[in-house]
Amino acid sequence: MEYDELITSQLSFIGQVLSVFSHEINNHLAILKESVGLIGDLIELGKTSSRKDLKEILKITQSIKNQIEQTTYFCDKLNGFGHGMEKPVSAFNIHKSIEELMVLLRRVINQKMICLEKDFTANMPLIYSNPLKIQFLIFCLIEKHLKRLDKNSRIIIKTVYSNDSIGITIIPKGNLIETDEEVICKDEIFKHIIKQLGGSISQKTADETTIMLPVSLFSNSNRR
Amino acid sequence: MGKKKDIKVLLVDDEIAFVNTLAQRLRLRKLLVDTVYDGEQALSYIKEMEPDVIVLDLKMPGLHGIEVLREIKKIKREIQVIILTGHGTDKDEEEAKKLGGFDFLRKPADIDLLVRKIKEAFSEKIERAMTAIALAEEGVFDDARKIMKKEE
Repeated sequence: MEYDELITSQLSFIGQVLSVFSHEINNHLAILKESVGLIGDLIELGKTSSRKDLKEILKITQSIKNQIEQTTYFCDKLNGFGHGMEKPVSAFNIHKSIEELMVLLRRVINQKMICLEKDFTANMPLIYSNPLKIQFLIFCLIEKHLKRLDKNSRIIIKTVYSNDSIGITIIPKGNLIETDEEVICKDEIFKHIIKQLGGSISQKTADETTIMLPVSLFSNSNRR
Repeated sequence: MGKKKDIKVLLVDDEIAFVNTLAQRLRLRKLLVDTVYDGEQALSYIKEMEPDVIVLDLKMPGLHGIEVLREIKKIKREIQVIILTGHGTDKDEEEAKKLGGFDFLRKPADIDLLVRKIKEAFSEKIERAMTAIALAEEGVFDDARKIMKKEE
């Protein structure tokens, strides 16, 4: 496998996350701009004297506050995603990492009218690995199903923890459609990254894939 | 002199807070505005109603805005379409123009610019209709048809 291919597919993943993020932020800014503009319009028209007018303005300011909170939440997710790239290996909460990805990809998933659900185990410890590579693997599996599933389908992300290993299973539910759309991540790249992370892959059915990863990339069994 | 015709605008965007606030602001500027929240709703709307100008988002659940534009031009070619998107690529812009989109704006857009574009789109629609009527009255039906279809 070409080193270039490996880098290109990961950059493509990061590029998608960033373009979805900037799209989302443009929408948030557009909402804020129109809301502030509407208050300006009402003031210019002198619609600020009655109790009803003031109620309307308070309603708009509240919606601005709500929008800023949503935007902050969304920016926090990109912040977490960025931190995940800072070091090749770090200790992190895998559930937070998956949630980050779910929020950052929400717009793409909504466009396909597919529902992304989580089924997380309650006893997941912090893991010591590469968050970006794990997010990339999960993205590859989600992307494959997004292209093949019909609208109103579901994709469930399930996690388990046992014997110093974690399992992440992606379960598609719904009707399949014919597609010739290409996916970012080829099987070869996918397997290569799993190997880099000291993990393995298994398939319960043709569509249901589980990635098993060590809790620590530097546990005894993974030391070379 | 006849009464000045009100411009009927349809806003199509899945960002409900955005589309409702923008609709309020356009109504304050004396435009007749309706809103729908996805492409399929937009196509159902134009089968029943006759908006002059549609302001259309691209990335929405279900049908992509470019597909919606293509369908609008098949159903009612005379409706002017302005794309207003937070995520337009150069390819989308080129495709929109090819399909007969009037203009391509990026969010967040200035309200005065949007209103100006809506008015320009409306004027072009009226001019085309008037020219087509004049040609039809003179019996030049092929040219009239071409103008209504915005052909070269």
